[in-house]
Amino acid sequence: MSDKPNILVVDDESIVIRSAELVLKGAGYEVEGANGGREAIAKMEQKSYGLVFTDLKMPEVDGITLIRWVRNARPDTGIVILTGYPSQDTIKEALSLGIIDYVPKPFTPAVLLDVTQRAVHWVLERRGAAGKGEEEKEDFPPSMAAELDKVIEFYRDKPGSLIPVLQRAQEMIGWLPVPALRRIAQGMNIPPAEVHSVTTFYSFFTMKPRGDHNVRVCLGTACYVKRAEEVMKTLEEGLGVEVGGVTPDRKFSLEEVRCLGACGLAPVVMVDSDTFAGIDPKAAMDVLKPYG
Amino acid sequence: MANDLIQISVCSGTGCLDAGSLLVRTAFEDHVRSQGLEKTVAVNFGGCAGTCPQGPVVTVEPGGVLYHGVQPGDAAAIVGEHLKGGVLDRLRYEPPEEPSKIPSTGALPLYRHQVLRVLRNKGLIDPESMEEYIARDGYQGAAKALTQMTAEEVVATVKNSGLRGRGGAGFPTGLKWEFASKSVADQKYLLCNGDEGDPGAFMDRSVMEADPHSVVEGMIIGSRAIGATKGVIYVRAEYPLAVKRLQKAIDDATAAGLLGKNILGSGHDFELSIYLGAGAFVCGEETALMRSIEGKRGMPRPRPPFPAHKGLWDKPTVLNNVETYANVPPILLHGADWYRSLGTQKSAGTKVFALTGAIKNVGLVEVPMGIPLRTIIYEVGGGIGKKNKKFKAVQMGGPSGGCIPEHLLDTAVDFDSINATGAIMGSGGMVVMDEDNCMVSLAKFFLGFTADESCGKCPPCRVGTRVMLDLLTDITEGRGKPGDIETLIDICDDIKNTSLCGLGQTAPNPVLTTIRYFRDEYESHIHDKWCKTGICRDLASFEIDPEICTGCGVCARACPQEAIVGEKKKPHRIIQELCIQCRTCYDKCKFNSIQIKASRKLTGVAAAAEGGKH
Amino acid sequence: MSKLTAEDLVRLRDKARAAMDFEKQGYRGKVVMHTGTCGIAAGAEKVMAVLTAELKERNVTDLVVTTSGCAGICSREPLMTVQLKGQSPVKYTELTEAKVKSIVEEHLVGGQPVEKLAFVMGCEAAY
Repeated sequence: MSDKPNILVVDDESIVIRSAELVLKGAGYEVEGANGGREAIAKMEQKSYGLVFTDLKMPEVDGITLIRWVRNARPDTGIVILTGYPSQDTIKEALSLGIIDYVPKPFTPAVLLDVTQRAVHWVLERRGAAGKGEEEKEDFPPSMAAELDKVIEFYRDKPGSLIPVLQRAQEMIGWLPVPALRRIAQGMNIPPAEVHSVTTFYSFFTMKPRGDHNVRVCLGTACYVKRAEEVMKTLEEGLGVEVGGVTPDRKFSLEEVRCLGACGLAPVVMVDSDTFAGIDPKAAMDVLKPYG
Repeated sequence: MANDLIQISVCSGTGCLDAGSLLVRTAFEDHVRSQGLEKTVAVNFGGCAGTCPQGPVVTVEPGGVLYHGVQPGDAAAIVGEHLKGGVLDRLRYEPPEEPSKIPSTGALPLYRHQVLRVLRNKGLIDPESMEEYIARDGYQGAAKALTQMTAEEVVATVKNSGLRGRGGAGFPTGLKWEFASKSVADQKYLLCNGDEGDPGAFMDRSVMEADPHSVVEGMIIGSRAIGATKGVIYVRAEYPLAVKRLQKAIDDATAAGLLGKNILGSGHDFELSIYLGAGAFVCGEETALMRSIEGKRGMPRPRPPFPAHKGLWDKPTVLNNVETYANVPPILLHGADWYRSLGTQKSAGTKVFALTGAIKNVGLVEVPMGIPLRTIIYEVGGGIGKKNKKFKAVQMGGPSGGCIPEHLLDTAVDFDSINATGAIMGSGGMVVMDEDNCMVSLAKFFLGFTADESCGKCPPCRVGTRVMLDLLTDITEGRGKPGDIETLIDICDDIKNTSLCGLGQTAPNPVLTTIRYFRDEYESHIHDKWCKTGICRDLASFEIDPEICTGCGVCARACPQEAIVGEKKKPHRIIQELCIQCRTCYDKCKFNSIQIKASRKLTGVAAAAEGGKH
Repeated sequence: MSKLTAEDLVRLRDKARAAMDFEKQGYRGKVVMHTGTCGIAAGAEKVMAVLTAELKERNVTDLVVTTSGCAGICSREPLMTVQLKGQSPVKYTELTEAKVKSIVEEHLVGGQPVEKLAFVMGCEAAY
């Protein structure tokens, strides 16, 4: 897809490049590797990259030098550090140069993908990439589109009403598909990049579809103390999805929530709008039985 | 002499107050003063004896004489009789011969220490009925502020009351109002923070649900004080019931002319609306919250300019939290001195706490400031919930706060004393932990939260919290190494010093306080590969103490791995190769025979055998 | 409702006080079910349904049955407060269908607080 920035992975160990490529290509990214800072600069002089993932400790041209060069010569390219246990000084130096994030080595695919996703958002925001005008298939019904237009119309001239509009849209559709965001951006006369950036900032909004039943595990402190993490683990294993995921049959989606404010009943699980209290971590799946 | 002192306690229970016990108390005080009896007769408020229909109830010591239906005019007669050593038979209440076995609120520690000011209508009114709120003196404070006082007088009253913001940092509310009242602008805003992002806190939710009009009234008074004509309550979308009840309160108050134009004929206008937050912890920070209301990403901005000069839409703005506003109406009604009659010199009034975790009485409590933590936990809270478990720490202030250990339990609960422990008062979450809670995991839990909620604006917070989270994850999974503790402390200092807003500045607190008070746990995780609580699975192995085991077999039946073997009534044994450290046996054993030792895998079996050496 | 003045507010308060006083309204007592988020999650609404059904079955019409906010003792939800004429308010905790039935039988109809089920009696200090 054109709105996925291409990635350059820079490391003096080829195994790191290979494994990063494996993970990122699997997720649909275009990835290339460079064996050290010198090769990276050479490559970047030939071609532009959306993101650079770089090690810090490399012979000859090291990571910090590379970051400095990128900052100067390719200011629109996002930088993520890939590193083992850095000394604080190098981390500080890298930070002062404006990196987006950092991935500890050795990394798991999940961590790498997670950081990549966030870095991509950063890059897209910088580019204002969403508004390229290409038509995408509307994947919400026309009646909803009309409904959404009404909401937009109602709020259009009220300053600061983007969040209420997004809330209403999510209420109607269940989640926030990209076409809906575009429609809102257009209707409200707000740059699509800003709509996207607000949507991704708040945990209440989701750009992924939810299951027929949304299962939310409270991970507030009181629930944590009463072992909500184990409840989550049981549900993840039982449903076969990680937190944030949807079962293949789209029956259940699993989310964590920061605190439902029902601490007296900890640990708490909410299925749609029903609250279940005092869950035994071992028997957490029982909660879902009535939802078949 | 102390023995001769006559003590008169007037019941301050809600039933007696409704029956007029306040006037009765004043009558006693006036009488004592006018007769110059201050040295022989003391008048105060007392708890409920469970004889409410007989109110107002007065108890006189010595002798524990109970009077019922006392009217202000009876004060002189009662004092007179007791000075003579007698009893006023006319009003004396004789309890039934067979007293009820149900304890009275005055007798239960859970209630004895509580005084309800913020929660004054708790459970007494229908939250959706404005009339019932009005029946309990609702909107009388606002009426006084709007029709009998100038804005300066309102500000002065709140300032003199010593009320400090209940959202966390404890900034004096009156001072905040004074700044904003002096700003000159065509438009000012008054905001209420009902975002309550701290995991483990639900005070504000409860106030909004149980007594929404108290928030609305507090805001009307605040708007008068600073001259704001528009107000917004920012509420978490996760609190649907609070939103529904607040909306009804606003609608009813607007219909009655308590909101809108020319309120109560005073000439003051104030419109109030609700804004649903979309879930971002950083929006508890005032500048971030304002950005969020403007429809942007809720990121904080540097101060100055302070919101009192340039806030929402660049207009002078005041933000207070729910509990702060709920405190305001009775301050206006009863005066600043009344408010100061509870609490300490620097922290006046009461504080609502959400008491949760490993404690017996989980719930919402309101106690005077200055009460020792120990009293809250062991008396109000009833102590640790599980038998045989020991108190370990109490966490205050959520992700911005810290853990207070056993030896500091006599700390008085006020803003400054709590700060001195390294924790913060915060909005009032109080999570109690017993010996089954691992402090390193807890620090990791909070860091996970802040790393997730960091808005990303300041790299020290965004990246620093991630680095710390990784270090803590390593420590809890057996990859900790010497020097990690020092590195953590170093990073904490950097984040504290270089972050723009409260989230970053306080994010290290959970780590710093657990290192300060529970450093031995960090060390045993790192050096001995041993998590004493077994919460960190990789750092524990479970063994049965044959001396204690009775061979009851409960653990063997519960073990998901069938890793526990043994003959009935003979000590059992755990087959280490099969054990997955799930902790089930530890939870099930009634005799505490399961011992948690250092990880066999990481230390070698030999070392594990002497795991208790630490 | 027309726009209030400060004087109206005082009058309204006195009127509302009288309206809340079940004795003045000719009722024998008042039952309050505490329905905050905690209470509802713990089943307060189901308990409320059992209560109203029981009262209806026994044709009890001289009691006010109402709801209010959280009573603060979350670990003992669902909670209910019962106050009959001439008695102190009594709080019952951790209510179940069976408990509600005996409370209706012994307290609401029989007039005697159920000592073995009651948690506390009396009011909380405020002021």
